[in-house]
Amino acid sequence: MPSLDAPEERLRKFKYRGKDASLRRQQRMAVSLKLRKAKKDEQTLKRRNITSFCPDTPSEKTAKGVTVSLTLGEIIQGVNSSDPALCFQATQTARKMLSQENNPPLKLVVDAGLIPRMVEFLKSSLYPCLQFEAAWALTNIAAGTSEQTRAVVEGGAIQPLIALLSSPNLAVCEQAVWALGNIAGDGPEFRDKIISSNAIPHLLALISHTLPITFLRNITWTLSNLCRNKNPYPCDAAVKQILPALLHLLQHHDTEVLSDACWALSYLTDSCSKRIGQVVDTGVLPRLVALLNSSELNVLTPSLRTVGNIVTGTDEQTQRAIDTGILNVLPQLLQHNKPSIQKEAAWALSNVAAGPCHHIQQLLAYDVLPPLVAVLKHGDFKVQKEAIWTVANFVMGATLDQLIQLVHSGILEPLVNLLTAPDVKIVLIILDVISFILEAAEKLSEKENVCLLIEELGGIDRIEALQLHENRQISLSALNIIEKHFIEEEESLMLLSQVVDQDCEFINCDCLATK
Amino acid sequence: MELSDANLQTLTEYLKKTLDPDPAIRRPAEKFLESVEGNQNYPLLLLTLLEKSQDNVIKVCASVTFKNYIKRNWRIVEDEPNKICEADRVAIKANIVHLMLSSPEQIQKQLSDAISIIGREDFPQKWPDLLTEMVNRFQSGDFHVINGVLRTAHSLFKRYRHEFKSNELWTEIKLVLDAFALPLTNLFKATIELCSTHANDASALRILFSSLILISKLFYSLNFQDLPEFFEDNMETWMNNFHTLLTLDNKLLQTDDEEEAGLLELLKSQICDNAALYAQKYDEEFQRYLPRFVTAIWNLLVTTGQEISVLHNAIQFLASVCERPHYKNLFEDQNTLTSICEKVIVPNMEFRAADEEAFEDNSEEYIRRDLEGSDIDTRRRAACDLVRGLCKFFEGPVTGIFSGYVNSMLQEYAKNPSVNWKHKDAAIYLVTSLASKAQTQKHGITQANELVNLTEFFVNHILPDLKSANVNEFPVLKADGIKYIMIFRNQVPKEHLLVSIPLLINHLQAESIVVHTYAAHALERLFTMRGPNNTTLFTAAEIAPFVEILLTNLFKALTLPGSSENEYIMKAIMRSFSLLQEAIIPYIPTLITQLTQKLLAVSKNPSKPHFNHYMFEAICLSIRITCKANPAAVVNFEEALFLVFTEILQNDVQEFIPYVFQVMSLLLETHKNDIPSSYMALFPHLLQPVLWERTGNIPALVRLLQAFLERGSNTIASAAADKIPGLLGVFQKLIASKANDHQGFYLLNSIIEHMPPESVDQYRKQIFILLFQRLQNSKTTKFIKSFLVFINLYCIKYGALALQEIFDSIQPKMFGMVLEKIIIPEIQKVSGNVEKKICAVGITKLLTECPPMMDTEYTKLWTPLLQSLIGLFELPEDDTIPDEEHFIDIEDTPGYQTAFSQLAFAGKKEHDPVGQMVNNPKIHLAQSLHKLSTACPGRVPSMVSTSLNAEALQYLQGYLQAASVTLL
Repeated sequence: MPSLDAPEERLRKFKYRGKDASLRRQQRMAVSLKLRKAKKDEQTLKRRNITSFCPDTPSEKTAKGVTVSLTLGEIIQGVNSSDPALCFQATQTARKMLSQENNPPLKLVVDAGLIPRMVEFLKSSLYPCLQFEAAWALTNIAAGTSEQTRAVVEGGAIQPLIALLSSPNLAVCEQAVWALGNIAGDGPEFRDKIISSNAIPHLLALISHTLPITFLRNITWTLSNLCRNKNPYPCDAAVKQILPALLHLLQHHDTEVLSDACWALSYLTDSCSKRIGQVVDTGVLPRLVALLNSSELNVLTPSLRTVGNIVTGTDEQTQRAIDTGILNVLPQLLQHNKPSIQKEAAWALSNVAAGPCHHIQQLLAYDVLPPLVAVLKHGDFKVQKEAIWTVANFVMGATLDQLIQLVHSGILEPLVNLLTAPDVKIVLIILDVISFILEAAEKLSEKENVCLLIEELGGIDRIEALQLHENRQISLSALNIIEKHFIEEEESLMLLSQVVDQDCEFINCDCLATK
Repeated sequence: MELSDANLQTLTEYLKKTLDPDPAIRRPAEKFLESVEGNQNYPLLLLTLLEKSQDNVIKVCASVTFKNYIKRNWRIVEDEPNKICEADRVAIKANIVHLMLSSPEQIQKQLSDAISIIGREDFPQKWPDLLTEMVNRFQSGDFHVINGVLRTAHSLFKRYRHEFKSNELWTEIKLVLDAFALPLTNLFKATIELCSTHANDASALRILFSSLILISKLFYSLNFQDLPEFFEDNMETWMNNFHTLLTLDNKLLQTDDEEEAGLLELLKSQICDNAALYAQKYDEEFQRYLPRFVTAIWNLLVTTGQEISVLHNAIQFLASVCERPHYKNLFEDQNTLTSICEKVIVPNMEFRAADEEAFEDNSEEYIRRDLEGSDIDTRRRAACDLVRGLCKFFEGPVTGIFSGYVNSMLQEYAKNPSVNWKHKDAAIYLVTSLASKAQTQKHGITQANELVNLTEFFVNHILPDLKSANVNEFPVLKADGIKYIMIFRNQVPKEHLLVSIPLLINHLQAESIVVHTYAAHALERLFTMRGPNNTTLFTAAEIAPFVEILLTNLFKALTLPGSSENEYIMKAIMRSFSLLQEAIIPYIPTLITQLTQKLLAVSKNPSKPHFNHYMFEAICLSIRITCKANPAAVVNFEEALFLVFTEILQNDVQEFIPYVFQVMSLLLETHKNDIPSSYMALFPHLLQPVLWERTGNIPALVRLLQAFLERGSNTIASAAADKIPGLLGVFQKLIASKANDHQGFYLLNSIIEHMPPESVDQYRKQIFILLFQRLQNSKTTKFIKSFLVFINLYCIKYGALALQEIFDSIQPKMFGMVLEKIIIPEIQKVSGNVEKKICAVGITKLLTECPPMMDTEYTKLWTPLLQSLIGLFELPEDDTIPDEEHFIDIEDTPGYQTAFSQLAFAGKKEHDPVGQMVNNPKIHLAQSLHKLSTACPGRVPSMVSTSLNAEALQYLQGYLQAASVTLL
């Protein structure tokens, strides 16, 4: 199976604010490794065509009803024959083998050296059926491992496939689109090879409202793979070409087309603020926000991802997203029945909260806190985690007045409860948040009340227990909170008197006089 | 060092000597080993010995020595030499796993530790074949070997539970998962099969279950950071087997000891942890297994012998699940709830033999657990947590079920109290757990279950016990009753509390330490309660009828066995003084005698810091209360205390010295006239360097010196002028330290304020030079704030011109630089009302009484200075701290008062050195400006109007109006 981009660990970008926060955010970015299984709600990188029958394909014209069964040796012989009929028969047999549902013999076919011949067949414009079978076989090989995709590329398939985009035969043309999609999905290297072979204008030229829907879906998917992957990102020129088409596709009614168009946008926006700016400037935001109301998970997921990416951009870009009304929808999505959606929504909110205090004010104005407190209390753990980040960012950037509102929203109860969560990072962030709130409370002369509240919630017991945590940062942080805020006044005065001697050199008392 | 027999022999000799009880033989041998451990082959010699020596003692000794050697030397520290040569490192890694696994258990443990220390540094990069080597041993079929591997793996992997996610960590985990997850799973399955084949063989089972425990711990470590793909794919295998193990019972594995955990319990407790981890973190994936686990863990709680760690983890699991709305249905059934209450909670609330033992023989520990909440790992607490968890969703039904139990337990008690008193204890505990929803030390219960009638229970079941004539009968129930009053003090109406006060006073006489301690603590808590208007809930008048008996019993309680330094009693004494105020005056002579005797006794060996602190607070209170009514009485206190104080100072009782200085400050400040000669005799001693070397003394000493300067500046100037350099030396030492510089300024300010100017004339310039040196070398915000206050105080005391002159005498144009670079830009940082006022008055003087400000190059700074002064009046304080100062401890942020090691009741009033001179500094500014403008008509308005900003100008006009003056 190809390795998919699990949402858990995808790279995150965070807006910069203040030294501490940025450090924390970088740490979140650091790990791109995955222990988790790939998630189903992500878009696939490569797909085989395993359609069991295709009524409209050119293959109809020949060998109707005859099942041909050849050995690998016979296939090798067949493809190397000069008789187009034999070539067709062998290629079709190979394609059928590659299309079987389980354990297709990709390696066998590659090792048999069939690719160069199949690439040859792509160019035989006199025999569209042969072109079709070859394109299909190559599509399925390219859907394999990276080496198998590489074998297709090194067999010279890209140029002839692009040439097929202009084929008068729709089926051939569609299969070529698909094959290119698989090759592009392998990674930035082949993606850029396709882009630099000038495939994009040909792909875009295919889009028309008369096109069968399956074809349009294939084009959209291939375009999304051309937007996908980083290190490096696709070049500016390519993005400029693709964006208007995506905008156009985003108006389509078909959910699969919408889904893939949104995925494409999500890849483009998972980048620097310059690229985000390029996307935002197309005026796509209103449509995206409208799609956040979609009941289709495959549309909602990528459009939410895109919006989430956009608010990682500059304050100005985030402001535009807010102005378009994302804050009307995100609080509702926090209450969506799928935890994965709640998580994405919380993530988006965490980045709004990382903005200046007038963005935080917007969060309050749109009443984000009640659903946020609710997911912190009862949500799935991965949602709670994002929600904790939201709270942490909120706390760092909030004015005193905004902090008061946060505390009044009942945030402390779930925070204190999560201090026993089996996740060291989350525990540390909560300790930071609590310490920050206590310090703010001190400025407002409200510390005693906040301390009592934390004590009532069982917080002291938990923080005290964390003083013995194996993780040093956690134990120190807990110790600091206890020492600074929870030692009874009379005791603290006394403990202070026992502080260790400072390294202060003693100066002879008389030295002043002798000078 | 060669790997030779001769060297092995020598090493054996020295190892033997390190076990010698005689230090004269042992120490040199240890020294010798340390001196040769840097040689190549040394660790290999140790490994050879621990494998091949004939003498078992030497084997073990070699293994321990080896482990310690690895611990000290294996890590390669940057910029330090590598302490173990590469060839030895390679040889150790090549042999140690095999050696560990073939050694007897005692040595295996040492080598296993050594492997994990090495692994922490080298694994995985520098020890790539470790995992394969370990996994291969799983095939051996020898569970002695397998357990060795598992133990080592556990010590290598357990850090995954507490380290932060990082690329490095996750790369390692991925590597481990790839090599280890499948073999571990296979081993898990095989081990469980073996358990059923050997179901009747106790010794085989013991080994197999040890393996299962280790495997379950490894499962936890490997699944902690995130749910690995492998374990998601194999969840079925793991969870089904975990579930089976949870429901397993085998008599062969039970222990006889009630408090010691058997292997099966340990395993089950770890499985509960594993299930809780999945339930909390991987809910989506775990959902379909969860209900089965809930049932199994439910049943576990109901049926097993309820070993504490199982109880704890099982409850933890249930608590984490029952708060998720989509699992609420699993708990709703009335039968389930009833059986949990009946079979889990009630039995665990019982007062056990161990509790009884602690109550009688280890009361300090009992009090700490019961009163201060250090009872986290007790059965009662676990049961109590479960009650609270259940009450979040099922308060009504749970309260209903328990009310029945409470009643029946009380009936049992009533039938035969002397036999059944434990039933009543459990009933009280149950009511307490049920009723208390939120609790704080300061206020007791703050949110109570409204379905429980606390007052009724108090009247019917608590009061009768406390009213019984015999204070020593059923001490546990007495303690329960007193605790009930204490924690529900905010729920029980005041009239009932008032009734219980004499009862509590009576229980101060109980023999049981727990009972009289609780009585003292309850009184103390009641006396701190606040009523409306933020006055104390109980007034001195309400307590007046009991004053004598209260004081008598409190001091008598200190004579009861085990309570001679009981901090709760001493705190109650302090609190009673504070509440009763003048009402204690008649008793002061006896009280102070008893307190000084106590002081004398404990000063021989101070061991209870809280007790001591409250004792000094009580002494301060006696002084304050008495001298407020009769200042002359101070002499009596001096008579009573000085003898003990002298002894404390002479014997250098470090813990008490800061307190003594504070009490002396309080006494000295109480004197209205000139300083008594007894104090003056002490003065030179206070300047001794040794006293100032202890940080804890500094605030108290500064405070005392300030008192000397305030009361006795003239005496010092006339009779002890030779000590002035010493005084300034102290100042110099203090300002050199970032932590203590504010203390130095306190002292300096007192000198400036109180000493006759001529007595310090000759030192003034040097003082400023020292301050400038510190400014140049290590400027901090705290220092600047103090510096600003000082120069303004100086300006007030000696005049603006004097300030300008002294600056310019150090270096020409220095005054302008100070104005421009420090005063104008930093004045907004000054904090504290008195401090701000000093600065305002000082700057006003600079503006209006300093001729050079009007007609030299300094004139250009006049308006900016005025502007910054208006800013000081009107703008919010600038509390920003530069980045590089964040690491300076904030604990010594200065106030004008010393705040260190302070006795609350020895505190002095805020002192305002400009109080009498200037009342309203804004008006004062207006008047001063007016005066200046009359001296040079026309100039002031023009300076003001040309460059003062509009807003500031508006404020200024406001001041002028308020003062009814105009500028000419």
